Amino acid sequence: MKRSHKYILPLVLLGVALTGLTSCDKKDYALPAAKDVLQNDAMKRTLGPSIVADTVEFVYAMGILPSKGKLVSAEVEATIEGATGTFLEHRSFYTNNTGTDIPVEVGAPSVSSKGITTVNFNKDTSAAALRYYYIVPEAARGKEVSFTFRAKSSNGETATYKLGPYKVSKMDMKRLIPVSDGNNMYISIEDMAVYNTAGATANPGKIDLVYLYRTFTSTFKHALVAPAADPIYLPGVTLPTGVNRDAKIQRVFGLQDYNLARLQFGIYIDDKDFETLDISNGVNYAVNMKAEAGIWIQTADKKYLAYVYFNSANDNNKNAVISIKRYAL
Amino acid sequence: MKKYINIACAVLLMTFVITACKKDNPIDEDGLLITSRQECFVSNFELLGTDFVTVRTKAATIDTTAQTVNVTVMFGTDLKNLYPQFTLAQDCKLEPKITGRTDFSDLANPKVYTVVSGNRKIRKDYKVLITVQPR
Repeated sequence: MKRSHKYILPLVLLGVALTGLTSCDKKDYALPAAKDVLQNDAMKRTLGPSIVADTVEFVYAMGILPSKGKLVSAEVEATIEGATGTFLEHRSFYTNNTGTDIPVEVGAPSVSSKGITTVNFNKDTSAAALRYYYIVPEAARGKEVSFTFRAKSSNGETATYKLGPYKVSKMDMKRLIPVSDGNNMYISIEDMAVYNTAGATANPGKIDLVYLYRTFTSTFKHALVAPAADPIYLPGVTLPTGVNRDAKIQRVFGLQDYNLARLQFGIYIDDKDFETLDISNGVNYAVNMKAEAGIWIQTADKKYLAYVYFNSANDNNKNAVISIKRYAL
Repeated sequence: MKKYINIACAVLLMTFVITACKKDNPIDEDGLLITSRQECFVSNFELLGTDFVTVRTKAATIDTTAQTVNVTVMFGTDLKNLYPQFTLAQDCKLEPKITGRTDFSDLANPKVYTVVSGNRKIRKDYKVLITVQPR
């Protein structure tokens, strides 16, 4: 009995070695056989919230074996018709060795009708990847929108790919608004615009913020102040008659929303952020604003919440460039 | 017989080891260790705004005899929404706990925080005196 034990270990080792050797046996690689039907695929390229008047980009790829036929048309149907400017590329792109996207024209420019955008191919094309730019229409605000991509080939086949539904944000956005001390310094959240003294005089009930630049302390500089704030925060400013609205303001730093900043930060302010925001305890001024900083603001009539972002701030010229995301309550 | 003696010795040794490792480690109502330390003071103080950036114009002055923290904040600081941060002597804790934004706008009635020593027997009240940078 004892003698038989000494064979167990070598036998086990032999078994393991044999298993290892047989598992290393590779099968010869064979190119996968392409499907012989018209195929397609689509993806949404734009990240973040879909905002009215902004562009949402998709890419639609389709292909068929040359022996089976060629592409005839590609179309995209949106459940809510895109705004003016919506189009499907009639050029297919490839990326060259320097990373540049090179277009190759494959069809006639797209035509849109009743929510369907179509490109008819006029070159012998077996495969293409077309980009689709959907301009979010006002009609889609707060609603969901879906997309159906279709391709047709010369042999009568049709391929379909569905994407969505995608929720369109309720909020508005306006980018790169220049403000300057002593000139365009009166900011209206309602109009998402900046006025000079004459404009503010004409719209006194719409002015929510005054932009100013002062250096009486090293920590004042660029400031956004509600007209109703304590005059110590509005030194040297003579408000036009009737410009007297209040606001709730809270300073923020490190919130470089991608839609507003277009920087490397993957941060997006969406409806949800406004819905959960509470700045009822805020003050009515924000001083010492810097580039890439911002403020949350609630208007005095509680009609709007907004995020005002400083794209840039220039001490020498006493001006700044701001961008706004606004949510109607 | 020798075998049984060895086993008995091993069991006895293990019992000693186990009981020796079992320390009496009292904890307080917050689950924090109560130690023998008597030190009870604030060693550093920071004050952050809603943007989590400091609002101080210079380092806070901490008087451990008068038990005060003097801090000057920038002109235009939102005093209603500040995040205080205390650094305390080892094993101390702070009362009341800081759970979020704190309102320091009532400058006439400065906020008082109590530092409790590691042995939980010494308590010292610290006043946070805020001065706003003048224009």
